[in-house]
Amino acid sequence: MKAIRINQPFNESLRELLRSLLEKGKVGAVFALTRIGSGYSYTLITDPKLLDQITPIDPYMPVGGGKMLSRLTMIEPLTQPIAAVIRPCELRSLYELVKLEQANLDNLLIISLTCPGVRPIRGLATDRGETLRECCQICDRFIPEKSDLTLLCAGEDGNVSTILINTEQGERFLEGLPFDYVEAELKVPEGLKESRKKKRQETFSRLKPEDLGMEGLINIFGRCIGCHACGRACPICYCNLCYFDSEESESHPKELATDLELKGALRLPTNTIFYHLGRMIHVSLSCVGCGMCSDVCPVEIPVGTIFTRIAESGQKLFDYIPGRDLEEKLPTSTFKIEELKDLGEA
Amino acid sequence: MSDFLPRIVGFLCNWCSYAGADLAGVSRLKMPPALIPIRVMCSSRVDPLFVLRAFLGGADAVLIAGCHPGDCHYQSGNYYTRRRFALLQRIFQELGLEVDRLRLAWIAASEGVRFKKVVTEYTDRIKKLGPNPVKKEIFL
Amino acid sequence: MKGKIVKVEEINQGIKEIILKLFDRGIIDAVLSPHPLPNGESFAHLLIKDRGILTQTVPLPPIMPISGAKALRDLTRLGKIDFRLLAVMRPCELRATIELSKLNQIVLENISFLTLDCPGVVRIREYLNHPNQYARDDALRSTCLACVHFSFKNLPSDLHIGIGKGEIYLYPQNEKGREFLTGIDLSPTDDLSNWLEQIATTEKKRMAYREKLFQEIRNKTKGLEALDRYFELCINCHNCMRVCPICYCRQCFFENPDQTRIEAGGYLNLARKKKGIRFPTDRILFHLGRMSHMALSCIGCGNCGDGCPMEIPVGEIFSLIGAETQKMFDYQPGRDPTEPIPVLTYREDELHEYEDVNR
Repeated sequence: MKAIRINQPFNESLRELLRSLLEKGKVGAVFALTRIGSGYSYTLITDPKLLDQITPIDPYMPVGGGKMLSRLTMIEPLTQPIAAVIRPCELRSLYELVKLEQANLDNLLIISLTCPGVRPIRGLATDRGETLRECCQICDRFIPEKSDLTLLCAGEDGNVSTILINTEQGERFLEGLPFDYVEAELKVPEGLKESRKKKRQETFSRLKPEDLGMEGLINIFGRCIGCHACGRACPICYCNLCYFDSEESESHPKELATDLELKGALRLPTNTIFYHLGRMIHVSLSCVGCGMCSDVCPVEIPVGTIFTRIAESGQKLFDYIPGRDLEEKLPTSTFKIEELKDLGEA
Repeated sequence: MSDFLPRIVGFLCNWCSYAGADLAGVSRLKMPPALIPIRVMCSSRVDPLFVLRAFLGGADAVLIAGCHPGDCHYQSGNYYTRRRFALLQRIFQELGLEVDRLRLAWIAASEGVRFKKVVTEYTDRIKKLGPNPVKKEIFL
Repeated sequence: MKGKIVKVEEINQGIKEIILKLFDRGIIDAVLSPHPLPNGESFAHLLIKDRGILTQTVPLPPIMPISGAKALRDLTRLGKIDFRLLAVMRPCELRATIELSKLNQIVLENISFLTLDCPGVVRIREYLNHPNQYARDDALRSTCLACVHFSFKNLPSDLHIGIGKGEIYLYPQNEKGREFLTGIDLSPTDDLSNWLEQIATTEKKRMAYREKLFQEIRNKTKGLEALDRYFELCINCHNCMRVCPICYCRQCFFENPDQTRIEAGGYLNLARKKKGIRFPTDRILFHLGRMSHMALSCIGCGNCGDGCPMEIPVGEIFSLIGAETQKMFDYQPGRDPTEPIPVLTYREDELHEYEDVNR
């Protein structure tokens, strides 16, 4: 397929591409991961000179890119085109947010990459070497399906950048820009998908139903401190006031006194397990397995791994892949008249 | 064991299953007094969180009853219920939680006998399962 | 100063025995205390009425994953309790509780407070990752090493238990406390000067560390650029706000949609004006804003810094600003439930130096 080749390492090539798009007026701003001091942040940049600072390929995700693009485009669609560099899972979460009426794709040029994964963000504070997020280690969807342009990244030697042109919109934006066109194929490192699938299976095999149950859940989520950071970091959790932060989920002392009478003891604050199960029900069908939740957890509970595992089975039930297709409706917002015949009739 | 009376929280839709329950009562059909009925206008009003809250609150079982598919007073509510219940059931299954403590049943307004049958059978099944162990759980 | 000295083999065991005595004599109906999780890897607050469970409780664990004030808020936000509760707390947890009661989040009725001398708490991830090697000063929160409110002074508890080597010091802070002690046949007749000396020594050490730390922070944060650098790893996760016992808003000002979502055109205008903006926006605004909202009630517990995935010393700067702003009003959070929070009251004749007079 058609692609452009830039004879520079990944970050530098993307800077060149984005600079060109910005200077030629094809886009009004660029949205990309940027290193600022020793930290990282997504930035919205309008001055081409500042593009020298962007580091789109650096292996960190301080916040969900899809969530940020939702903030940018929810109230009104973009008033002028911008180019955004986001990872495949962030793109999938953006698609889910569009279905949830929380984002708008108009005027958005999406550049993604075959993703080698990111490191836990806390690695910037306490060095953990090159270990990837657990959710990245088990990710087998590292190829973006709906981007306009895709940088071949995973497994490439990093001296030359090949950017595939996937859509007609991508072609249009590149028109007139001084880049070399080549023919190239979408490729990923031999065996990467297999090794990821294998690690996924291994990881999930330690989370079988027999290993869980209420006892297993309390074992995993016991040390949860109820901060709800996982929900706040999750790209899918978009509610302004989460049910579990609202008055609805609070209990009157009389109810708690009754519970105390029946059980002899009661953990306070309440709703630790309820929060996670409830959130599972709410988001699992759209869970893209990005792992932001695990990243921000102050007590390092592998939230993302559990959610990804449960989400996979819920999604399989409806043959649904979040972010695969904008036209594919969220399973609980639609129905088929003839389906799930074994429910209800017994 | 035989004097364990399960507490089954039942979400009954106003137009079909609640009416069916009423009919069962008026017809003096006998059934164990295990069900705690909660009337909702449509089975699709039932947020899975209600079910979770009841389950974690110590209910021995939760029943969601609505109109037969195609007969929903609001046209399509129960189709959504069916999907939501399937998801909830699948999540329970995968988490190793006792999925038998959740049930979906279609009961029409004229089906007083079916209501009695569902309640009696379900109560029997839950009696055999025993009380919900979550009732004793302190660290929820 | 009079109290009761009790020789103990192990501190937690000793404290537990006092609690059990109060429970067995029917002086209290239930206890709120930190308790080990079933798998033993951490601790959570339990509201306990069963004696068997009470015998397993750990009143003074090495960590404080959640402030006890949050547990009490969960219990009494919607009303008072109808049973006599003994809340076992570290001093900062009680001070946070008192502040929350001023903010209508906790109803203090029927709750008695048993506070303990606090040797400081270990940073949570340090403890979780090295559960057996945490007994070192450098594993403690820096806010703890700088804490001068670790004992009974200016603390509105009913009974306070001081910690010594092989002994604990039961000190009644009021009439109720004295009744507790006489009710379990431990009349406060011992002289506690030994303990007071120990406290004075620790106080001096803590005060020295505090002044040094605060001076360091002042130097590190002079001006916006320095502040930016202090928070340079911040990813806007807002964990610090979420774990703070004082921050009780269900929907934080900095998370409401009017704050976090403006029109795309607005963001683009801002990006044009400044050539580039971060996303999410308002990183420093969040911290300064949170400071201006809660600094007067900041008790310096350090839960914020512990909750930060990027190990930013949030607690250090918030404690400093807390201390400085509280000094302005001669206010100490948690000292007295009837002392109103300074911005919720006023005196007609005050703070003239801040008025725009003769400019």
